[in-house]
Amino acid sequence: MEVIVWSAWLAGLAIGLFVIFHFWLMGKPAGCSTGYGNICGLVCQRVPYFRQGEYRHLNNAKLWFLLGIPLGGLLSALSSPEPWHFSFSMGMYDDILPQTYAGKAIWLVFGGALLGFGARLAGACTTGHALVGGAMLNPPSLLAGVIFFLSAFFTTHLLFGT
Amino acid sequence: MYEESLFKRCRNTLVSGFFVYRTQIFGLLTGILFGFLMSRAGATTYDYHAKMFLFEDFQLMIVIVTAVIIAMLGVWLLKKTHIHAVATGEEVDFVKKPYQKGLMIGAALFGVGWGMTASCPGTIPAMIGEGKIAGLFALAGILIGTMAYGILQSHLQLAKQQASRSTDAN
Repeated sequence: MEVIVWSAWLAGLAIGLFVIFHFWLMGKPAGCSTGYGNICGLVCQRVPYFRQGEYRHLNNAKLWFLLGIPLGGLLSALSSPEPWHFSFSMGMYDDILPQTYAGKAIWLVFGGALLGFGARLAGACTTGHALVGGAMLNPPSLLAGVIFFLSAFFTTHLLFGT
Repeated sequence: MYEESLFKRCRNTLVSGFFVYRTQIFGLLTGILFGFLMSRAGATTYDYHAKMFLFEDFQLMIVIVTAVIIAMLGVWLLKKTHIHAVATGEEVDFVKKPYQKGLMIGAALFGVGWGMTASCPGTIPAMIGEGKIAGLFALAGILIGTMAYGILQSHLQLAKQQASRSTDAN
């Protein structure tokens, strides 16, 4: 699925303005990965961790923010010249990932689990730490952002064998 | 007895409903905008992630650096004007994520996941919206990972409570 991609400067400007707009509208920093905990809390109600602290009220803005993202992706795909369709292609990754569908699926679930567990252990994901935390010049967030990047850099180089 | 017209009742229901659920509605709308921007920025296209880390194309790097600089200026401006948030009516809370135990290990694990799936928690829902099946598996993985963390934390809390109870008894 090919979507229209804006020039990096324009997209960066738009996302920067989005972060400011989100602060003004919601009064809180934007974040993505926390919302997955809301879903976990709604699905499995017997885990005490998803009943307390920031998960005291599960039907909150973070959950609806997360539910809105696919609609945004859908809008973007529908307004692109290519007609909307399902695809399991991952571009350059198709050559280096497991070649069978099942292998690829297991690889992705394992990678996703690392993302979910790592994001909770670090406190936030790329949005919360690198983007919003970086904008507030929060030292732990900057540290986390640098480690995110370095770790992904080494992983990608190992995968592509360069 | 005072009777309101049907139009007025419908309008009142809509207005009060919007007021009660305003944070959810704003959340949904900002989510849609965020997903759209992530897609337009190229963050949902796998090749841009690979090319950024292999130093072949700097699309996403420019996007994030520009966004952080613009947002930094905006945060400075919002702090200076002491603006009040629309949803809460209170001053904007620039709450910073604290340093927490395991931040470095968590960040390293997250980076491995980023390299493996070429996506992050914010872009995976947008990928699903675009019809990328790989996003569905990554989403399942994220939910499993988050659930594992929640269960682990719950067990650690329980063990701590039991330990403090046994020292109280002594």
